[in-house]
Amino acid sequence: MLPSRLVLYRIAFLLGADAAFLALIALLLPEEGSLWQEISSAAVNMAPSVLAGLGMTGIILAGSIDLSIGAAIAVAGSVFGILVHHGAPPPACYAACFAAAWLISMANGGLVRLLGIPGIIVTLAGLSVYRGVALMAADVAIPAFSGNISVIDDAYHGPGKHHAGSILVAAVACALLWEAFARTPRLWRARGSSEEACRIQGLSPGGILQSAFFAGGLFLGLAALLQVTQIQAIEPARLALGFELPVIGAVVLGGTHIFGGEGSYLGTVAGAFFLHFAQQLLVYAGVSEYWREVIIGAAILGVIGMDCRLHRRRKLLEELT
Amino acid sequence: MKLAVLAALLVLEAALFAAIGGFPASASLKDYVDYGESLLVQSCPILLLAFGMTIVISTAGIDLSVGSMTALVACVMAVAGEGATFWATAVPAGLAVALLAGLANGATIALLDVPPIIATLGTMILYRGLCWVTVGDREMDPFFDVRHYEHLGEPLAALVLVALVYGGGTLYFGASRWRREVLMLGGNRVAARYAGVPVVRRTLEVYALVGLLAFLAAVTFTARQGSVTASALAGLELKVIVAVVLGGTRVEGGSASVLGSLLGVAIIAVLDEGLRGAKRWGDEHLPFEVAHLRFVSLGLLLAAGVWLNARFAGRPGRRRSRKGAPSVEAPR
Repeated sequence: MLPSRLVLYRIAFLLGADAAFLALIALLLPEEGSLWQEISSAAVNMAPSVLAGLGMTGIILAGSIDLSIGAAIAVAGSVFGILVHHGAPPPACYAACFAAAWLISMANGGLVRLLGIPGIIVTLAGLSVYRGVALMAADVAIPAFSGNISVIDDAYHGPGKHHAGSILVAAVACALLWEAFARTPRLWRARGSSEEACRIQGLSPGGILQSAFFAGGLFLGLAALLQVTQIQAIEPARLALGFELPVIGAVVLGGTHIFGGEGSYLGTVAGAFFLHFAQQLLVYAGVSEYWREVIIGAAILGVIGMDCRLHRRRKLLEELT
Repeated sequence: MKLAVLAALLVLEAALFAAIGGFPASASLKDYVDYGESLLVQSCPILLLAFGMTIVISTAGIDLSVGSMTALVACVMAVAGEGATFWATAVPAGLAVALLAGLANGATIALLDVPPIIATLGTMILYRGLCWVTVGDREMDPFFDVRHYEHLGEPLAALVLVALVYGGGTLYFGASRWRREVLMLGGNRVAARYAGVPVVRRTLEVYALVGLLAFLAAVTFTARQGSVTASALAGLELKVIVAVVLGGTRVEGGSASVLGSLLGVAIIAVLDEGLRGAKRWGDEHLPFEVAHLRFVSLGLLLAAGVWLNARFAGRPGRRRSRKGAPSVEAPR
């Protein structure tokens, strides 16, 4: 299914802006740097956020949200670190890391259905609970746990360091094809537009939401795997802290409406790279690290604000009827 | 009824932690008074912010940025003036920043229609970034150089401040038209607009009030600590929200219990203090750090509180729509 016209305009704008940013970066690049290197390193650095953003897109399309993705990655990191510490073979570690993040996403979906309270509250609670679980798991499984688990052996860094770019490209291609031809993403949009209408139509809103968290978990698992295998030291207390806002920012920037119902995977990918290139541009322009964070934070907030503002008239009209 | 349950829970919790936290059985009255005083001083910022958060949540909003906002105010005060000029420069500067930060939250939510949780999640990170910009990685400690400032961190001052905010607030909040309008915002925004409630203005006022309380919280915090860093008070927002939700204020909006929030803060404070005191017991008996339980317990309390409020304190017919009638969905 093709996204709506508004979303298409947004994607075209973002792709244009990405190209413009790249051109500016090319101007500011130091002598020894090359633009191709910049792009490929962007793909590697951004892989976790883009993948998590794809998962988040589905969940937001379906009218919910997941604030606990950073903490879920921390749990996955803890599980990975524990297995590495006890000398498990790399494939087992990768599988466990992926499964941990996926299961947490599934659990979020299940809890939202079971408790009947908004996903935003469930996952806000999850944000705290999962972080604690990650720390406690490391405490229990590693004797004299000092706060971080070091993973030195290069054998454990396969996906994150050597294959991040290709995994990203493959996952994005699958996601785009699936979005274009499959039925499930359309159902998510339906639920995000009106839960009531879904129910009247004979669809199960709960089941649709669960499927969004299911697919979101698959992407989150990949994101966790890439994030965890990129680093030498896993600190459960700090791993992926504050990961959720840039991801949500990229999703909304990409034209996905925060209350669900419309949006696209391609927009999310373009939005994530927009944020990354904007940040790189600030780096090359010599802006200090602290200010960079403030500027990017304000930009994300401004973008979300403008997006909500654009939808305001329609929302007010809906209130009237 | 609900308040009685909360009070019972509090007593039970205090007894539990007294047993494992090494509170001596021979403790005299003075020990208990000391414990109470330290609890009050420790939790004074949370108490102050919980009042504002109660009102924000009763409008079906939420403010995740309170921790960062309080830290930002403290950081600005730390760099704005020292010694003799502190009262003339730092205090107004802090107040201005606090009000601006609160109004910025309110404007994002009321004028741009951003869902409160997303807007304040953004400003939480934004204000924290501004903290880093203001003080960098230094620890600023000009506060004890200010004459008479440290008195504001004493138990008596904390008691007076909390009594003023809660007493005055309840007197005004309890009987005013403002309260009805704010509750109506949470109950049904559309109906509030039709009833002539100035929706945008009330929203701005509510978030500005949180800013004001963040200023007071920053003053009590710095007067006790004497110093501030850019990462101070991280995670404060969750404690405040959990306390308010435990106190019986529904996140869907439309109801508020200031007294409940007071008890909620007490429960959180005893839990916090208890987990700190239980460290030695935990090292002997548990395979993990007791302090890490704090994350888990806060999250579980939040989920449990919201669930219980929705299930038992809810008005009948609200959660599930009757046949034919459109369901009333709380804005997210």
